[in-house]
Amino acid sequence: MIDELPEPMPDLDSLPFWEGLKANELRLQKCSACGALRWPARAICNRCSAFEAEWIACREDARIASWIRTHQVFAPAYRDRVPYVVVQVVLEAQADIRLIGGWQADRDPVYREAVVPRYSKRPSGTVVLDWAPREP
Amino acid sequence: MSAFRDQTAIVGIGYTPFSKSSGVTTLTLALRAIAAALEDAGLSAKDVDGLATFRVGDSVLPMVVAQSLGIRDLRFHLDQFGGGSVSHAMVGQAALALHAGVAETIVVYRALNARSGFRMGGTGRPLVDAVETQYQAPYGYFTPPQQFAMAARAHMDRYGTKPEHLGQIAVQQRAFARDNERAMMRAPMTMSDYLAARYVVEPFRLFDCCLETDGAVALVLTRAERARDLRQTPVLIRGAAWGGGQTLYSNEIEDTNRTAAADMAPRLYAMAGVGPSDFDLAELYDCFTYSVLVQLEDYGFCKKGEGGPFVASGATARGGAMPVNTHGGFLSEGYVHGLNHVAEAVSQLRHTAGARQVPDAELALSTAQPGYVAGSTAAIVLRRDAA
Repeated sequence: MIDELPEPMPDLDSLPFWEGLKANELRLQKCSACGALRWPARAICNRCSAFEAEWIACREDARIASWIRTHQVFAPAYRDRVPYVVVQVVLEAQADIRLIGGWQADRDPVYREAVVPRYSKRPSGTVVLDWAPREP
Repeated sequence: MSAFRDQTAIVGIGYTPFSKSSGVTTLTLALRAIAAALEDAGLSAKDVDGLATFRVGDSVLPMVVAQSLGIRDLRFHLDQFGGGSVSHAMVGQAALALHAGVAETIVVYRALNARSGFRMGGTGRPLVDAVETQYQAPYGYFTPPQQFAMAARAHMDRYGTKPEHLGQIAVQQRAFARDNERAMMRAPMTMSDYLAARYVVEPFRLFDCCLETDGAVALVLTRAERARDLRQTPVLIRGAAWGGGQTLYSNEIEDTNRTAAADMAPRLYAMAGVGPSDFDLAELYDCFTYSVLVQLEDYGFCKKGEGGPFVASGATARGGAMPVNTHGGFLSEGYVHGLNHVAEAVSQLRHTAGARQVPDAELALSTAQPGYVAGSTAAIVLRRDAA
């Protein structure tokens, strides 16, 4: 039997982000005052201190900022899953927003390469955000 | 000149043995290290009127330590949530309290069973109760080696840093540990040994990662004028600084290879009236080899991106211009969350470090974790008292 993978634990700030993934959208908060995107989800803009924001479906393409391959088993669920790759991407929509995600390709990521999201549905119904090379 | 400079001192250092299984509680570890530090200072528990520690839910309540020591009126106490990113902040905050006259004798300690008890990340439990964990844990990304490996890979891709550069840090620190009777890892290590070890999280191999240690370290602090009447050569706190505010994943950080220490170092140096070329040695927070490399850049010992060639030059090795982690660091001595770095700096500045002594050491830098993960950092500058 394979242990369950860790599930996201949304809070009241982040719930729309996780609901967005279920709709295959990258939903982020856009500041109503200055237009900056917020990450992680929170009540205030760290640029202009405005509270008001709207949730938008964000431009979803990104670039690889870094990646790792985990060999050591840090949790029981990964006993049969190591080694596995995790990537860090920066969004083209706003270069200071970096997301962690899984990697869907049969090769290693390349620094700065263009990637697109893969909305991955788990048996539990949860959708998480993986990334894959942008095909030419 | 800063009114704070050289007004307080570290007058006692104490250790328990470092091991993989202490067989005792964190309370016992704390009390043993504190007793050793007070003995070193020539003081007793009756002199202690302040306690400062930090924890991540893995150590005894400090008030239990206070009652064990028979302290009836604790004039200063600090029980901070955090790990290596706040270690040196404890020393700085104790010094502030002494300088303000709030207390006379403050013990700073850290006690943990990090191998036999709570292993950070070892169970999939997040390091800290961070809002950001939810965006990372679902991908199997929840431990410090993963978080630091992610930054290290970016440094390699951007600046051409090589595995052998990281390996130099591990090998150089092991060479110091060979002359440290406390060190958990004293066997000789070559670059071949480093490269042949298994991967933990690529690009990190086994010896890029710190040890998991059961143990405790305690420091005794008082004001400088009183320090001069005590047993040991006082080691003065010449400067202390705090930094941070942004975690790696907030949208204010555009560059994960530049840490909060880069913003903090100039004000630390200004307070202490020193620059990077003045240090005789540095004890830099080394949870992983990469954290040493990035701090060498962010504290101004070399230019951004040149940390790899800088360590390869031998500048940080035994006999180099500025030896780093002269006890072997977390990589080879043991992991007591930063306070063993401070204690080693004190030994070096007292000129009691034995075979690993840096000749004529007068000035040392010691740093906390540079700001990854928890988003905070701190550092201190220590000076041998010339009086």
